[in-house]
Order: sequence, then structure tokens, then C-alpha cells
Amino acid sequence: MMAPETSSDLLQVSHFSVDLYTARAALRPVDGVSYSVAPGETLAIVGESGSGKTVLNFAPLGLMPTGVVTDLSGSVLFDGQQLVGLPEPALRRIRGGKIGTIFQDPMSALNPALRIGRQIAEVAELHLGMTHAQAEARALDLLKLVRMSDPQARLRQYPHELSGGLRQRAMIAIAIAAEPRLLIADEPTTALDVTVQAQIIGLLKDLQRRLNTAIVLITHDMGVVASIAARVAVMYAGRLAEYGPVEQVLLTPRHPYTRGLIAALPSVDDAPGSPFRGLPGTPPVLGAPLPGCAFAPRCPQVIDICARQYPPLRGSGGPGPGAAVACHVVNARPSKEQAHA
Amino acid sequence: MSTLIAIRLRNAVVLLVLATMLCFALVVSAPGNVAVLIAELRTPKASFEQIRLVEEELGLNQPLVLRYASWLNGALHGNLGVSYKTGDAIGPALASRLPITLTLVVGGAAFAMLLSFALGFLGALWPGRLGDAVSRVIALLGASMPSFFVGALLIYGLAVELGLFPTFGTAGLSSWVLPWMTIGLLPAAVLSRVVRVGLEEAMARPFALTASAKGLSRRAILFRHALPNIAPTYINALGAQGGAMVVGAVVVEPLFALKGVADLFLQGVLFRDFMVVQACLLVFLTSFILLNLMVDIGMMFTDPKLRRQGANA
Repeated sequence: MMAPETSSDLLQVSHFSVDLYTARAALRPVDGVSYSVAPGETLAIVGESGSGKTVLNFAPLGLMPTGVVTDLSGSVLFDGQQLVGLPEPALRRIRGGKIGTIFQDPMSALNPALRIGRQIAEVAELHLGMTHAQAEARALDLLKLVRMSDPQARLRQYPHELSGGLRQRAMIAIAIAAEPRLLIADEPTTALDVTVQAQIIGLLKDLQRRLNTAIVLITHDMGVVASIAARVAVMYAGRLAEYGPVEQVLLTPRHPYTRGLIAALPSVDDAPGSPFRGLPGTPPVLGAPLPGCAFAPRCPQVIDICARQYPPLRGSGGPGPGAAVACHVVNARPSKEQAHA
Repeated sequence: MSTLIAIRLRNAVVLLVLATMLCFALVVSAPGNVAVLIAELRTPKASFEQIRLVEEELGLNQPLVLRYASWLNGALHGNLGVSYKTGDAIGPALASRLPITLTLVVGGAAFAMLLSFALGFLGALWPGRLGDAVSRVIALLGASMPSFFVGALLIYGLAVELGLFPTFGTAGLSSWVLPWMTIGLLPAAVLSRVVRVGLEEAMARPFALTASAKGLSRRAILFRHALPNIAPTYINALGAQGGAMVVGAVVVEPLFALKGVADLFLQGVLFRDFMVVQACLLVFLTSFILLNLMVDIGMMFTDPKLRRQGANA
């Protein structure tokens, strides 16, 4: 059913669901999602805003806003440890320790009242048991590692004194301060200039190679996906629509939603002034889990069963870890790859 | 930063000069002729000649500008004139009373800070729980009770009934406890809300999520990440409350029979002792200006954005 999972996986998520209960509503932003990440591998999770990709990654770590009751089900195995149901003190040791996090907007994610050096050193003190002096020295090393210019001076600066790119480098230094085995990067380049985006992606790739850190990259930027990820999971309305190796998913997308996403990308070959292509319709409002395929109302290939029955994520059936698709129509007919095989 | 401090200092000096003018103008424009009062004190039903004599004696027949200049010159040298009522020099009287008022206000402010942080953190550490409710109720009570009422309650409860503290006097620390609580309760109530609301807002900002992702506990995030962010707001509010406490001393000093500046001011007003009123006003206004200067500098030290402005300016 799923891409084959091996016991050597660093992160193994299976049939994972998140239910949120606020004062006014009950939501299920993540519904039965399964995927895995091997050590040192990069998985991209792609989806529109509200598709549940952030909740999927933050809920197992206990990083949810206060005042919201979060109910997790299924399994999230990280480094042999079950995160679902793990008490908060144990989760705290993992957060910032074995799992580092990079946020979208480094301006608001960094504390405006604390020096950069302190914000980095704090992590080393907490997770590596370093003294104040040791941690400050480590902060300097980390700033060098993320290729910050004039690192000695940066230590004593405040976030508002840095440019967006430098702030994101500081954020990355915080995330890798305790040498995590997994980095969760939530849209790390979205708030940055295009030229800086490439630098940050380059830095992440470089750090990954040096530290052998696995990365889960949450993004909606297909260009970023292509440049860094080995595998990609496409999320739609809390479920995985398509999951597989990057080349396969990007070059031969099979799910109608993925195809629509990729077709919507502007291309340099487009005539100047050609209309902006988008996906018609809007994603469903989060609420109770839908009985059928959430994409059915927007799908150009919709058939009767789509509205009634949820399509399971099914592999191509070919040899190796091929792309798996959750679509009645696609899975009903032999895939192109199979036809060619 | 030093440039910014220099600008603030210059502004403070300008304000101070304006304040002396205001003091002087207030007393000059106050109804009633001082010379008449003094002449009648000496001889009931004083004649016009006798009044003229007093005016000359006090320099009241001179032009306003000259009178202001000589008063300012005297004030700069600690000579604030003579009380019409007692005939004593006002300077030494103020000097002996200032420490009492300072002790009252500074001690009260320390009490207010302590209580406000305790109440604010009680609420922020366990939001929506019993401690939060208790801190809210204390803040509401503290903010809605006038200080003469609070003082009376404290005297009755803690001094008369329980005999824990003396009801008046300045002998030792214990005699200061009730005045400090009386003058500090209202500021504590207001400031506890500043702490509570400020921490709550800070905890909802994205950097708190980052801190949580670093593995810090909620308590550690409150103290290490949220607290530095509310410092400028708190200092600002503390300055405003400090000003209110100087005014509050007018009520609290008589209540505990403290012979401070506010008490002197009150006597001056009651006896239309304008020289005393003028001198006390000058002390109050100077303290307001100094307080604001300290707030400005304090905010500069706690807000990194303000701190670096001076370097670029």
C-alpha cells in the first residue's frame, strides 16, 4: 500500500491523524497520513495553505497553540521512540535536541529583545549541557558554519539589525545547535528574496551533507522541492494525494491534483502577458473528515465513486519505491510507467 | 545611545525651566494678597502703609521678571524663601522632609513592583486557573479602592486588630510597611495587569513558538523570552504610576502622620502659605521630570531598537 518502510528509517509516520478541538469547532487537519524519512534524507511535504502540512509536522512535537485541545492518533516513530502520547517533558528533550526546527519568517521567529548569540547559545546549554562560556563559543562556531559574515560581531547583534537572509541563517544556527538528526523546515525560504532563497537552500544542502541530518521540508514551492528533496509527499486537505521520488512526482505526476499544481507553475516559455494559470475551485474548509476524495469537487476526471469512497494511497506496483497515488481513477487503470515497463 | 541620552537631558532641562515658570506663575496668580495676610498677622487691621512696607520687605513691588529671577536664583542655591506662617526658611524644612517622602514613594514603588510581578506571573504561569483568578480579583480590588480607604483598612486590620505594625511614625522598617502597602497597592494592581497581559501577548508571538521548539519549558520561555520583551512597556507604566504615587503621598502622609513634603504641601495649601506651596510644587515637578528622564533612559536600555538608534543618529 505504502512505499516500503525499512526499520532503518529515522522517522516513520503511519496512519497518523490529528484532531483539534477548539471552543467552537472540531477539526481534523491531518487524516491518516503515512510516510517515512531515512537518516540524511530530504523529504518535501507540498501542499496549499491549510492542507495540514504544518500541523502534520508540529503536532507530534507538541508545538501547538495553547487553548487548542490536540488529539493525536496513529504512530509517529522517531529514532525508535513513539512520539504519539509521549509526555511533554520527554518531548521537550527531543525538541531542539534531536529535532531542530526552522520557521518561515525569521524576523518574527527570533526574539527581538535578545542577542543572536544568546538565542543560539541557549540551545547548546539546554541540550548539550554546556556552560555559558562553552555555549557562547559554540554559538560562534555555528555562525561560522552557517557562513555568516563577521560572526564575532553578529553574536552581539539583535535580530532587527540583520537582513532577512542573515536572520534565517541565525535561525538555522539555532536549529542545528544541538546537532539534530532531523531538521523540520517550515517554508524556510518563503519570506526571503529569490536570490537569498537559493543561498539558504544551498546552505541547507551543505549542512545536511556535513552533519548527515535528515530534513523534512514543508513548502509550496515546487522549485525548492526539485532542488533539494529526494522524495516528496503531496498533501491535500489533510491527506496524502501522492507520495514518491521527486523525479517521478514532478516529471510524471499522476494524481490530478499534483498534475494541476505542476501545470499551474509559470514557465519561462510562456508568452509575456499570458494568463496566470491556477487550479479552479478552492480547497475544502477543514472540518469533519470527508467520506470521499477531498479533491473530487475540483477534479477534472471525477467519477461517481470519488464522492462516496475515500481513495487509498496505492503504489504503482512497479519495482522499487515508486510514486503512490490516492486516486480511484488513476489506480483503476495501469499507470504509464507500468505500461512502458 | 549617548546622543539620545544627551537629547533627553537637554529636554529635561528645558522642561525644568518651564516648570519653575509655572510654579512662579501659579503662586503669583493665586487669589489673595500675601502682603495683606502678613501685615494683618503682625497687626490686625493693618493700614495701607503697613501693607506697602511688607510688600517692599518681600520685594513684591518689583517687576515680575525680576521677582522670578531672584526667586530662581535663590532656589538654585537652596534658598526657597521663608514660610509666611512660621517664618522658618523653607529650604532646610524641605531638606529634612524629602527623605521621608522619598522613602515612602521608593519603598512603595518597590512593593508595587514586587507585588505586580508576583500577581502577573501567578496569572501567566497558570492561565485560566485559580492563581489567575486570584490575581485578577486582587488587581480589580486594588485598582478600585482609594488609598485613604486602603490605608484605613490596613491600619484597622493589621495594626489595631492584629497589632503587627505600628499605626504611625518612622521608627524602623515595620512602621513603613503599612504606608508602603497603602501607597503601592494601586500601582501594583495596574502594573500586575501590565505584566499579565504583556506576558500573554509575548507568549502568543512566533518567537515563543521558536523557544518551545528549542525545548524550553513554558516557565523558562516566560522568564527568559517573554519577560525581556515586556520590560519597555513595564518601565513606561511604572513611570506613570510613580508620578501618581507622588500625588498619592498627599493622602498617605497625613494618614500615617508622616512629616514629608506632601504633608508640608498640604499645610501650605491650608494656610495659604504660598511660598511653601511654590517650593513644594517645584519639588514635585522636578521629581516628575526626573522620573520621566529615568523612564526614557530605562526604556532605551531595555529596547534594543531604541538603544541602537543613538549609534546611527
